[in-house]
Amino acid sequence: MTAYIVRRLIATIPVMVVVALFVFFLLHLTPGDPAAVIAGDDASPAEIEGVRRKLGLDLPIWQQFGIYAWNLLQGDLGTSIFSNLPVLTLVKQRLEPTIVLALATLFVAVAFAIPMGVLAAWKARSFVDRLVMGFSVLGFAVPVFLFGYVLIYVFAIQLRWLPVQGYRPLAMGLDQTLRSIALPAFALGMTYMALIARITRASMLEVLSEDYIRTAHAKGVAQKSVLLRHALKNAAVPIVTVIGIGLALLISGVVITETVFNIPGLGRLTVDAILKRDYPIIQGLIILFAGAKVMVNLAIDLSYTFFDPRIRY
Amino acid sequence: MTAVAPAVSAPIAAPAHAETILSVRDLRTQFFTRDGVVRAVDGVSFDLKRGETLCIVGESGCGKSVTALSILGLIPAGAGRIVGGSVRFEGTELTTLSEAEMRRIRGNRISMIFQEPMTSLNPVFTVGQQIAESVSIHQGLNRRQAWDRAIEMLSLVKIADPKRRAGEYPHQLSGGMRQRVMIAIALACNPQVLIADEPTTALDVTIQAQILNLMLELKDRLGTAIILITHDLGVVAETAQRVIVMYAGRKAEEAAVDELFRHPIHPYTRGLMASIPRRSAAGRRSQVRGRLQEITGIVPSLREEIPGCAFAPRCGFAVDRCTREQPPFEAHRPAHFAACWEAARVVGTPR
Repeated sequence: MTAYIVRRLIATIPVMVVVALFVFFLLHLTPGDPAAVIAGDDASPAEIEGVRRKLGLDLPIWQQFGIYAWNLLQGDLGTSIFSNLPVLTLVKQRLEPTIVLALATLFVAVAFAIPMGVLAAWKARSFVDRLVMGFSVLGFAVPVFLFGYVLIYVFAIQLRWLPVQGYRPLAMGLDQTLRSIALPAFALGMTYMALIARITRASMLEVLSEDYIRTAHAKGVAQKSVLLRHALKNAAVPIVTVIGIGLALLISGVVITETVFNIPGLGRLTVDAILKRDYPIIQGLIILFAGAKVMVNLAIDLSYTFFDPRIRY
Repeated sequence: MTAVAPAVSAPIAAPAHAETILSVRDLRTQFFTRDGVVRAVDGVSFDLKRGETLCIVGESGCGKSVTALSILGLIPAGAGRIVGGSVRFEGTELTTLSEAEMRRIRGNRISMIFQEPMTSLNPVFTVGQQIAESVSIHQGLNRRQAWDRAIEMLSLVKIADPKRRAGEYPHQLSGGMRQRVMIAIALACNPQVLIADEPTTALDVTIQAQILNLMLELKDRLGTAIILITHDLGVVAETAQRVIVMYAGRKAEEAAVDELFRHPIHPYTRGLMASIPRRSAAGRRSQVRGRLQEITGIVPSLREEIPGCAFAPRCGFAVDRCTREQPPFEAHRPAHFAACWEAARVVGTPR
């Protein structure tokens, strides 16, 4: 197991190198002179040259990459062009809301989707099943921003139960944070809820027709325990896989949700950086998201061994 | 619980000391498919005495497994259900019990072993957990006690090194060992009745005898009555005290095992016996010809109602009446019952 984890961690190195290469050349593939972009619209040629030298943009390209990679290894993601702050500092400032939003979304999605999927599979082809599947289609079809505005209108404007937008950091108290994150988490969670519910139903349906489920009934095991103990654990591997895929999709979802709900997280940082062409920030974020994705994949693969004893690394 | 006498007279008189523990009367189980109603079990009656071994024998699809599942109330809802008849266990009518009451009987008073040991155990729990689950549900043992009981059961079914095996998963065990584990699960709560549905069919021949002997040994030790469902007359000869031959959801014949093998009445039973190889060189005709006899024709579709004897289309003795009227299930010899209009003529014909 430990050997497997070490092997997997080593295998992430080439992946990250490719990501770093891609991110580095991204800057050079974009039209225009980076030095001119950074120096600003009304800079004189001399100023542009100054920026070029300062940033090392006059060096051969492989040398630039070497410097970039070396800085990366030391945890230096570069410096924002506009705020002159290190990208890492900016990311740290924006990290909390995004992580809280992602975790809350995942929690909401899983907490609702799995019971829905189990229920639908148990009562397959019944009214409940059709209701869950109908909801699932809706969850896929309605875009996050639309659902977000509907939630804001109903729960924040009409009922006044929850804040319209914004984010309260954990430092202000957990209840404040949860209140501020509830609507965004539901808005963003809908798609994942639909996805996970669908897979849970399919996987459970397959497992429920297995011989060992009949054995469980013949042993006198209660229906609830047959579903949640005997069947769900067997159905878990595809469900966990989809949750992992969902986490990757969450990154793009976060961008939209943070914009709709005005949450100062990494999603907003991404949008702002793209609009301002603040390349170092974009580069840094891509590397971070890629690294996170690789780690999530590893975690999902390792979780399989917990659910299925036949899987051993 | 009050002991209730069977409504219909029991086909075979019980020995004075043996009390009837399970009584099935006119059981009818049907499945509702898109192509119509399938009469899987069509009026089956039998009694099971305490500690007895009863074999139900017949071809695939003759309704023997459905009979077993019906007794335990395990017919999948939505697919089919018991449409008539009664199942009395120690005087309690099972067909009308609630699901919760039925659960207290399943795996506790009446247990079942299935054909496929490879797929009948849950792959994600250790075998110890799966045995312990039974006893913790039905006997309220705590975790520690249930685990000890699981290990005890594993050694009872003669699995070597039970302490270590209890912590293993089904995929780490061979087919024979898994079936031993299934037996351990089934017997963990000392049930009065064990229903074994083709328990050895999926196993190697060498393992089959071991598993059968183990079942019979434990039956004697624990006093459990066994309903053994099989298509294998060899298994019947080795294990049964009494035999029921089923055909197309109905009983064809019923007798004590020696009586049945010596004096088969129903042409179907005779056909089954002629289709198994015999070792004796007694000069029977099938041996002389050196070929096994087959029963010509095919099993009837259970989708249509069969007015007469279900075996008539394949039967060499069939007369007109056989296809029109259902023969009564009656005694043709002492304690030997069969459903055949032409029984006298069949018995008079040498095999």
